[in-house]
Amino acid sequence: MKKKIVKFLSYIFAFSALIITIFPLIITIFCSFKDNEGITLSMFSFPKVFHFENYVAAIERAGILRAVFNSILLAVLTTIVVEVVGMMAAYILARKDFKILSVIKVLFLFGVMVPIHCTIIPINNLATALNAKNQYYFLLFVYSAFQLAQAVFLFTGYLQGVSRDLDEAAIIDGANDWILLFKILIPISKPIMSTVAVLSFVYCYGELMFSMTLLTDVKKFTVSRSMLTFSGEELQLGPIFACIVIAVIPIITFYLILHEKVQDGMMQGALKG
Amino acid sequence: MNKKKKKRNIIVSIMFLTPALILLFCLIIYPVINTVNLSFRSWNGVYGMPKVFVGLKNFRDVVTNANFWKSLLHSMYFLMGGFFILMPLSFVLALIVTSKLKWKKLFKTAYFMPIMLSSTAVALIWVYMLNPQYGAINKILEIIGCGSLAKDWLATPNVNVWSVVLVNEWMYAGYNMLIFAAGLVSIPSDLYEAAVIDGCTSWKKLRYVTLPLMKNSFKIFSILCVTGCIKTFDLIWAMTKGGPNRSSEMPATLIYNEAFSFRQFGRSSAIGVILLIIGLLLSVLMNYIFRDKDKVVKQ
Repeated sequence: MKKKIVKFLSYIFAFSALIITIFPLIITIFCSFKDNEGITLSMFSFPKVFHFENYVAAIERAGILRAVFNSILLAVLTTIVVEVVGMMAAYILARKDFKILSVIKVLFLFGVMVPIHCTIIPINNLATALNAKNQYYFLLFVYSAFQLAQAVFLFTGYLQGVSRDLDEAAIIDGANDWILLFKILIPISKPIMSTVAVLSFVYCYGELMFSMTLLTDVKKFTVSRSMLTFSGEELQLGPIFACIVIAVIPIITFYLILHEKVQDGMMQGALKG
Repeated sequence: MNKKKKKRNIIVSIMFLTPALILLFCLIIYPVINTVNLSFRSWNGVYGMPKVFVGLKNFRDVVTNANFWKSLLHSMYFLMGGFFILMPLSFVLALIVTSKLKWKKLFKTAYFMPIMLSSTAVALIWVYMLNPQYGAINKILEIIGCGSLAKDWLATPNVNVWSVVLVNEWMYAGYNMLIFAAGLVSIPSDLYEAAVIDGCTSWKKLRYVTLPLMKNSFKIFSILCVTGCIKTFDLIWAMTKGGPNRSSEMPATLIYNEAFSFRQFGRSSAIGVILLIIGLLLSVLMNYIFRDKDKVVKQ
């Protein structure tokens, strides 16, 4: 009897949490099809008339599709840079025995702990000095640097757990450092590499602060920047909601397809970080 | 042979480390040093204008400024929200998704979704949900007969910070749920069987078997929570921009506002340096506290 009550209560709790989580998302989708009157009258009713023109407005006035493309491009490039550069550094840190390497490890750890907001002014100055505002290569380097510190940390930990016997066997077979890293250790490190890929992709796709300071050209806006600017300028509410929906579709699709992998990835990042 | 090998090792090491070190030095270490330098100077942010050395004036300005202390207090709100709301909530969610309930996979996938939305999207969704004229929250309060509780959530001082704290918990509950769920799954089931044989009720099982063995998860949660709450920026920026009338400033939004809204780059850097020191101290402190405890247990 008591067990049944506990079970019943857990179902109630589970479903209320589910509703609280999903409810704002459903409202957003509903509102993206309504006009101002429909939204102000009742946010959570099912749209009576579907205003698909909201989506057209979001694409034309906010340029949200372009922003989605920009963000995905930046996120993919950053992920590649972080994986390659991070693995190369981690290989040395985990496998070679020079004394100076322990100092370098501390530097990377420092990079993990620094609150990124402390660096915004000098990075902004650097961009001005290099004439690199509105340039994606600079944003790419900034994102990479901050994701890299964490990636190096995770990779080094993982590689240290891989037995060195493997290296020795490969070296006896005539492998040099390049072959050892790219042909043997990188394939073994797939789990941690997918963790880092998820972390850096999700971070870059939603990043706000640097894109706010380093970008001024509307054509180059990233998703977060574009949404925030549009919601401040637009008077019609429908297109703003449409803009939010378009912005989250790629990342949610990515999540729903790979949800187990994504969850694992984000988790590993937390446990080891 | 050995000498040649060593030489080759050094060359390879330098080659492999250089790209990472360049990024680290140019975009993290150099900016941090620069921030420290700028915190002793006065500068209006115009490129090429002189940066006048003013000693500790910026720091004096900061610590005598009420906004700075208020922003630290707001960080405390986030911390309290984290330990008193987020932690129990995520723990219960973790119990649900590791239990034998039906549809637990569905629950897990759904609970985790908000973190994927990106903080700007979450912030905007909630800005409209909390709107005083037509927002869903006020409407719901009216419907259930608590219309008197309806307020302008994001414009009332203190209430606005707590609103953002709650949105923060909404967003991160699923993420922390996974941390606790990982801890729950790692507890061997024979321990529970033994507990049942010894006559433990469910509550006692939770209290004397689950919680003590979940120490590691609580440790990870605490580290993330403490170091995270000092760094909150995106959510509060997208929801209130630190306002209205600077009533919801966080340390990070204060840095941004002082520099890019009020052109006080020196003062902003001073806040940056203080935040940096607090951030590093907290990271080291949290790791130290928990490492020490583990040792005690081993002895």
